[in-house]
Amino acid sequence: MIRAERRGLILGVTIALGWTLVKVTIPWLVRVGIDRGIDGDGSLLLATLAIIGAGVISGSLTGLRRYWGFRNARRVERRLRDELFTHLLGLDFGFHDENKTGDLMSRASTDIQQIQNFVMMLPVTFGNFITIIAASVLLLVTEPTLALLALIGLPLVNVLGMRYSQRVHPAMVGVQNESAELATVVEETVAGIRVVKGFGSEDLFARRLAVEAADVRHWAYTASTIRSKFLPAIELLPNLGLVLVLARGGHLVLDGRMTIGELISFNIYLLLLIQPLRMIGMVVSFGQRATAAGARVSSVLETKPAIAGPADPTILAEPGVLADETGVGRVQFRGVFFRYGSGAPVLTNLDLEVEAGETIAIVGATGSGKSTIARLLPRFYDPFEGQILLDGVDIRELALPALRRAVGIVFEETFLFSASVRDNIAFAHPDAPREDIRRVAVLAGADEFISELSDGYDTLLGERGYSLSGGQRQRLAIARALLGEPRVVILDDATSAVDPTKEHEIRDALSALTGQRTTIVIAHRPATIALADRVAFLDGGRVAAEGRHDELLATNQRYRQVLAAAATEPEEG
Amino acid sequence: MAGWMQAGVDADERLDLAQTGQVLRRSARMLRPYRRRAMLAVGLLVIWTASILAGPVLVRVAIDHGIRAGEPTVLNRAVIGYLFAAISAYLSYRVGIRSLAWVGEEFLRDLRNRVFRAMLDQSPSYYDRTKAGVLVSRMTADIDSLGELMQYGLLMFISALLILTGSLITLALLNWQLLLVCLLVIPILVPASVAFKREANNAYLQVRDGIAGTLSSLQEGISGVRVIQSFAREPIEGERFGEVNGQLYRAHMRSVRAASWYLPVVDFSGVLTTGLAIGVGGVMVRSGRMSLGTVAAFVLLLANMFDPVQQLSQLFNMIQSATASLAKLFEVIDSEIEVVERVGAVELPEHGDLVIEDLAFRYGSGPPVLSGIDLTIRAGERLALVGPTGAGKSSLAKVLARLYDPESGSVRFGGVDLRQASLASLRQRIVVVPQEGFLFNGTIADNIRVANSDASDTEVELALERIGALERVLALPDGLSTEVRERGGRLSAGERQLVSLARAAIVNPAVLVLDEATSSLDPGTESIVEHAMEVLMAGRTVIVIAHRLSTAQRCDRIGVVDHGRIVEIGPHDELVSARGAYAELFAAWERGLVSP
Repeated sequence: MIRAERRGLILGVTIALGWTLVKVTIPWLVRVGIDRGIDGDGSLLLATLAIIGAGVISGSLTGLRRYWGFRNARRVERRLRDELFTHLLGLDFGFHDENKTGDLMSRASTDIQQIQNFVMMLPVTFGNFITIIAASVLLLVTEPTLALLALIGLPLVNVLGMRYSQRVHPAMVGVQNESAELATVVEETVAGIRVVKGFGSEDLFARRLAVEAADVRHWAYTASTIRSKFLPAIELLPNLGLVLVLARGGHLVLDGRMTIGELISFNIYLLLLIQPLRMIGMVVSFGQRATAAGARVSSVLETKPAIAGPADPTILAEPGVLADETGVGRVQFRGVFFRYGSGAPVLTNLDLEVEAGETIAIVGATGSGKSTIARLLPRFYDPFEGQILLDGVDIRELALPALRRAVGIVFEETFLFSASVRDNIAFAHPDAPREDIRRVAVLAGADEFISELSDGYDTLLGERGYSLSGGQRQRLAIARALLGEPRVVILDDATSAVDPTKEHEIRDALSALTGQRTTIVIAHRPATIALADRVAFLDGGRVAAEGRHDELLATNQRYRQVLAAAATEPEEG
Repeated sequence: MAGWMQAGVDADERLDLAQTGQVLRRSARMLRPYRRRAMLAVGLLVIWTASILAGPVLVRVAIDHGIRAGEPTVLNRAVIGYLFAAISAYLSYRVGIRSLAWVGEEFLRDLRNRVFRAMLDQSPSYYDRTKAGVLVSRMTADIDSLGELMQYGLLMFISALLILTGSLITLALLNWQLLLVCLLVIPILVPASVAFKREANNAYLQVRDGIAGTLSSLQEGISGVRVIQSFAREPIEGERFGEVNGQLYRAHMRSVRAASWYLPVVDFSGVLTTGLAIGVGGVMVRSGRMSLGTVAAFVLLLANMFDPVQQLSQLFNMIQSATASLAKLFEVIDSEIEVVERVGAVELPEHGDLVIEDLAFRYGSGPPVLSGIDLTIRAGERLALVGPTGAGKSSLAKVLARLYDPESGSVRFGGVDLRQASLASLRQRIVVVPQEGFLFNGTIADNIRVANSDASDTEVELALERIGALERVLALPDGLSTEVRERGGRLSAGERQLVSLARAAIVNPAVLVLDEATSSLDPGTESIVEHAMEVLMAGRTVIVIAHRLSTAQRCDRIGVVDHGRIVEIGPHDELVSARGAYAELFAAWERGLVSP
């Protein structure tokens, strides 16, 4: 990563060298000005002009140095973040199950920021390093003993700078963590204010906040105490150097072994060294943090997606091209075994055939693996044994985008993006014509409520936009899945949040769908299940029974049990 | 140097002088308890400044009266003076930083507690008017930006200001003519600083938006990764993120460019004044109007004066943003509260009828939501409220629990107007159980104690047992001490509702207002929740906002709410045979549930 920015770094280093040269020259010019211009017979004007000229160069190089250092660091930051995001999008469901969103976010923000901080300091540090050496050499050449006296305390500045940065860091992290906890208390209190007000428990929550506020204060004050120990000490050391220079140097001048100009230039050199020494101390701990952050970032970048398309994918035959005239969307599960990570087996030797154009309901108790079937077909996970075929082709032989376009899935938890209603429906096909978007919205029973929104299809959704009800969200998700004309549609408990009085609308929509394409419905409402041509009842990791809903109800006791509580309501009504 | 000095404020949030004055006076009032520490801190920092500035002045004495005059004793005295100045600077700075931080952090803690308390005391109507995000950002973004100011900015601001003023005064005392010459840099430095301050502010605002944009894209991309993959949309999302990320980069670069032309100006100004001090000062020394020591003192003082200039130009934005934040926070503290306890409020009786007379209600100055409602709910009666979304069912329930005050008319419980009742007794007698159980971070027991913070473990268990949920909770890995995580994420929807019902059980209210959940639960849990509700309702007055007509059917009476009025009321069978609005609703609902 850093290697790719090498040319930028080299230029940065060159600028830093030039900057050092000018910075070190200025105190020398001041000395010449005093000794020859004021105290001697040299030209005062020339010395003055030289100083001002050096100021112009020093200023320009200061600007350039900053620009280059920061520019390179920001470029590294930008590229790294782009790469990380793209990589994360390509990683499989298994990876995302195991990693929290917040954790991944912090790698893409805080960690990359740490790396950026360090990269930014690299050329500056190099310049500082050279400045320290150059100034020390100049001082030693001018007057060795005085130089030793002046410089003796300075390495300590470096050490203190490093210690300070290391000690204050945990306290600053403490402030951040406690602030985050405080934010959680505030956030949930505001979100749950009806509960708080309803029970009159304002005092309880005020006390909760007081605890967090005290914690934040504790860490913030700790950070300041650390600061109060180090900052004055870091300032004291060079001041003591100045005292020593005046004590010893003053007598040297009195004895005529040194000039006043040299004495003053010693002072200025010392002032010049403080900042670089502090920074070098800080860079060490910045480097440590950047290394840790870099390890976290590259551990993600080096993770290979567990699921990838083949190098030479098979292409699904177009509808109508198939010899047997059965249409498209035939799905076969053959001897499929599956478990999540190292968990208990979910599917054991599952066999299931879904004919083209058929509507099948998958029914089973919680944890029976019905949702897993929905996740295996689009290859969100791969079975560890067995085979899944779509229109006769093993899905592992298909290109991933092609497979996922052929299978439209509607999840139980509907995730919509902060974009307009239209863009959300057109998610898979951003260029879809308006009529198509409208058509699928009508199919999914969403057109009516969309038209009633303030801006219709242009209404913004999400965090800063309009928030839809659970049922409305699900209907949008169904429209989204339909737009791509998938061969197979999977509805994973997709109507659970729909208001029962509105469910008939969805059912109308579903009936419009079914018959046109293969539909796999995962549901526990009998009314929805009854829509299917056939029911596959999952139990013990395999299909325990197959048949029509009413047949199974009549013949299978376990099936009745699983549906029991849900089945009572509509029959009562 | 680093990014932390960046700050900025939107043009429409920037305060004018009068407003700033108000904010400062208000802050001073809040600082009153700590004013001795605050004065100590400022006093110490003044001593620190004087000690720092004493150095170059002592160098002048050493050169003019020691070295030039050939007096080693004077030189030695100056050296000893310098040593004392250095030690005094060390000590005063050390204690000064601590005192300032102490005052600042105490002030912030006090502010956090006060703002939050003010929010808690607000009526629900306030939360309707104000977006949750805004309230949260007051307590986080706004106070945190003040926190950052306390951490780095304030000390630096005060130090820089003191050093700058102190240096100017010292230089003027040393030789005001030479100072005037050095001040020739003002025409360069001041316009540059003003321009930079503005540009840095604008760049910062762009960076802030860029960061927010990047973070929300990241969040959306990562949490929506499953949907993105399902629709094979990775390339488009990658590109879109690249654009947002690129915007952040450009904003950063704008800020880098601003600093990259401004820092050279400051740097050059510093060297220019040194040159002028040597050149013009040199001429004055040669003509005998000034001593060489004074030139030396000038050079040394000037070397320390330009860092503060550059710091101040950036810190100014930080201070402006902080005062804008403070103004917003004081506004929260000063907001008026609508539902308040009257002076001389009385306890509500333990039992009684709920009597609603000619009730009208609206949210703020919005359209009327309820009007002309007359209704008596007898003690122990169960009333269901049904009707289309937005008809006013939930509003009626909220007014019944005095989460809002009616616009006109009254609600009385056992003969006492709710507005005359003490809030504590009101919350004790009438409890609202919201739709979906809302859970806070903490254990299950903590969550039940939200209803009664003094409840013992036994009382909590008893409440769960009474509604038949104890077994279910004890089956969890840590039982009552199970951490529910954010929003109760570790529990199922049904378990969350059980906790919510247990809260009501522990209060043991006379009146229960239930807002039925719309989404269905898995069948097993559904029956436990229904059982818990049944137990909870027994022996109390119940008002249930029903979404399922099967629930309504089981109530003594059903009120149909439409357009803010009760259009029909009576038992289920009566309403069905009356063939009115309810009969229609019921027929539609039945059609929806029967298998085709």
